[in-house]
Amino acid sequence: MPPSLPALIGCRYLLDVRSILRILADNIKRTGLPVPGDPGLLTSWSTGLDLPEKGDVILYTGGLYQLLPYIEEFAEYLEKLEGGKAGGLLLKAAGKLRRLASLSKIVVRPSRERLEYSRQVLVSIVELLKSAGVEIAYPRSVDSYSGVLLYDMGLDTVFKEHARKVAEALESVGAKTIVTIDPHTTHVLRKVFPRYVEGFAPTVKSYIEVLAENIDNLQFKQGDAGRVVIHDPCFYARYEDIIDEPRLLLGKAGYTVVEPRRSGRMTYCCGGPIESIAPRLSRRIAETRARELDEAGGEIIATLCPICYSNLRRAYRGLGLERDIQDLSILLYRRLGP
Amino acid sequence: MSIMLEKVLEDIYKGLEDPEFSMAISRSVSNAEGKHLRVKESYPYVEDLRLRVLEAKKKALENIDYYIDQLARSLERNHGVLHIARDRDEAQSLLGDLVGSGKLVIFSKSIVAEELGLREYLESLGNQVWETDLGQLLIQLEHGKPMHTTAPAIHLTIEKAARLVREKLGAELPSSPEPEDIVSAVRRFLREIYYKADVGISGANAVAADTGSIVLVENEGNIRLVTGYPPIHIAVTGIEKIVPSLNDAISYALVQAAYAGLFPPTYLNVISGPSNTADIEHRRVYGAHGPRELHLILIDNGRRQALLDPGLRDHLRCIRCGRCQWECPVWHHTANKWGGPTYGGPMGVLWTAITLGKEAGAELSMLCLGCARCDEVCPMEIPLSSLIRGLKRVYSSKI
Repeated sequence: MPPSLPALIGCRYLLDVRSILRILADNIKRTGLPVPGDPGLLTSWSTGLDLPEKGDVILYTGGLYQLLPYIEEFAEYLEKLEGGKAGGLLLKAAGKLRRLASLSKIVVRPSRERLEYSRQVLVSIVELLKSAGVEIAYPRSVDSYSGVLLYDMGLDTVFKEHARKVAEALESVGAKTIVTIDPHTTHVLRKVFPRYVEGFAPTVKSYIEVLAENIDNLQFKQGDAGRVVIHDPCFYARYEDIIDEPRLLLGKAGYTVVEPRRSGRMTYCCGGPIESIAPRLSRRIAETRARELDEAGGEIIATLCPICYSNLRRAYRGLGLERDIQDLSILLYRRLGP
Repeated sequence: MSIMLEKVLEDIYKGLEDPEFSMAISRSVSNAEGKHLRVKESYPYVEDLRLRVLEAKKKALENIDYYIDQLARSLERNHGVLHIARDRDEAQSLLGDLVGSGKLVIFSKSIVAEELGLREYLESLGNQVWETDLGQLLIQLEHGKPMHTTAPAIHLTIEKAARLVREKLGAELPSSPEPEDIVSAVRRFLREIYYKADVGISGANAVAADTGSIVLVENEGNIRLVTGYPPIHIAVTGIEKIVPSLNDAISYALVQAAYAGLFPPTYLNVISGPSNTADIEHRRVYGAHGPRELHLILIDNGRRQALLDPGLRDHLRCIRCGRCQWECPVWHHTANKWGGPTYGGPMGVLWTAITLGKEAGAELSMLCLGCARCDEVCPMEIPLSSLIRGLKRVYSSKI
């Protein structure tokens, strides 16, 4: 029996959260990705880079940087839906009719500029690692989405199955160290996978930790590179205790690090984790953070996580403020050199 | 009571679209955030007290029946009476029997009383009931919900508070009142009520099993009047407030005040029985200047069940200082509109799960960012974000 009209009217301005979760779980089960797309989108950035497939130290991107332009589009679409009268109904209908893929196809169309930015981040990370003297391999067939969103949303059954597949693939290449590139993938691989996949206990390091360990090998240009306000991501700062490393690296690259209100261990969330459930609330949190980063008085705002980058960027746009917001890897890469 | 995430969001969005609400919350947050750190810097021994309370709470919760028995004996020795209520209905019925009808009843602010709907229940029996904590009185006047554990009216700007006091209490206030004007008007209004009240009802910050003492911390001074002036004092609190000793209970209240950011507390009350004197021929008489009867109603309402549940058990250590609320990015934008009908914020989601069931808490859990700022500041080291993630699993198991 369809829901009664009053029940629907009651939430006409709101998204039906369980429908969103169903779409998410369904996408991951079908394609391994949270949004529909060709799995090749995770690895296409590495074309033309001379990266070996095998090695003791391997790069596992976890896909967040590559997927973020798509997720961002999805969230914007949801926010529009939420603001409109059809939100709850449309998603519910989509879920019911199992036309999930067609709905998502309409949603996901990121701009060339956003896709290019993600590619630049990934290339910068690889170049930084190479400059630090790290022999990094990239087994393309093993790279995948880590499933972190499933874990965050409490979709444990789907997550567990997904984690098992990812762990099996990672174990098959027999690497000594897995290098991750974003805080969520770092955390989920290092602390969560071992709880869900029996016997999985690899050495996982964020590329930021690896760069800091090899900081003496990194050569940066001389001179003052400007004042950078650092936005610590929650997962690095509180879950993984990665706080000093980005500061060390920025300092060596010639930047003056400016601490905003609420930084380091007490850093503030960008609102990202609830953007697909409560887009308007998520945006308000992002705006609060964007304002306080702005008040810190730097020239550039540095993010260390694709979700933070995306959310803060949208928040500034919403506030009508043009701000130079850059991923840490881009800031470090542009200072490489004698 | 069923809670639906979409309905909760609807109310949250109303708040986001209300500039007065958002401004009031944001002002309070910038005053309160991180305040516990400044307290701890000035009074380093607060850390020792915190560790003492943490151990005391763990010990008491692991042996709850032992300590309830000990408390009952201690209270009896002091000529107080212990009552135990399993749920909301039993609590209301017990209180109804003690108070009766046609009485003037004053409350000193108790979130457990809110949880159990006690004010409304006593009103329905034909009693005249007044809250005496200023913030809580404003909540009563607007028929609203407390928006923070220790600062219930933080969502009200001075203009709105003045409007309520003018309209509902008939107080005369200047056209652009200062906070002092509102405080004075409420003080004048409540003076006579204190004097005439038949029953005073308080909560408890902590209860000491070894001495049967109820410990209450406050700044306004209303708790001393509510618990000291009327002939009958009834305290209502959850079983999780029991700690082994009076030393633990006093530490508990001090830690609560420190983490609420209100330190030193203006008043610390220890109540171990009805007022009494032995000044005439050294013969003990109960009912001297203060109450002649003291009742303590201990509430279960889901707490015992939660003790058996690894997904909720740790949360019974919560001392409701409200620190997690002051530090939570979601709460900064929603106040207690997120957290449940009585409680709010990260700790509220879990108290709702304890008192109204895990499914209710699960609906609310989905708005948690998992950012773990709450974990970082909780004096009782409750892994709030992990427990809330556990509730997300309950929610998502039903997709």
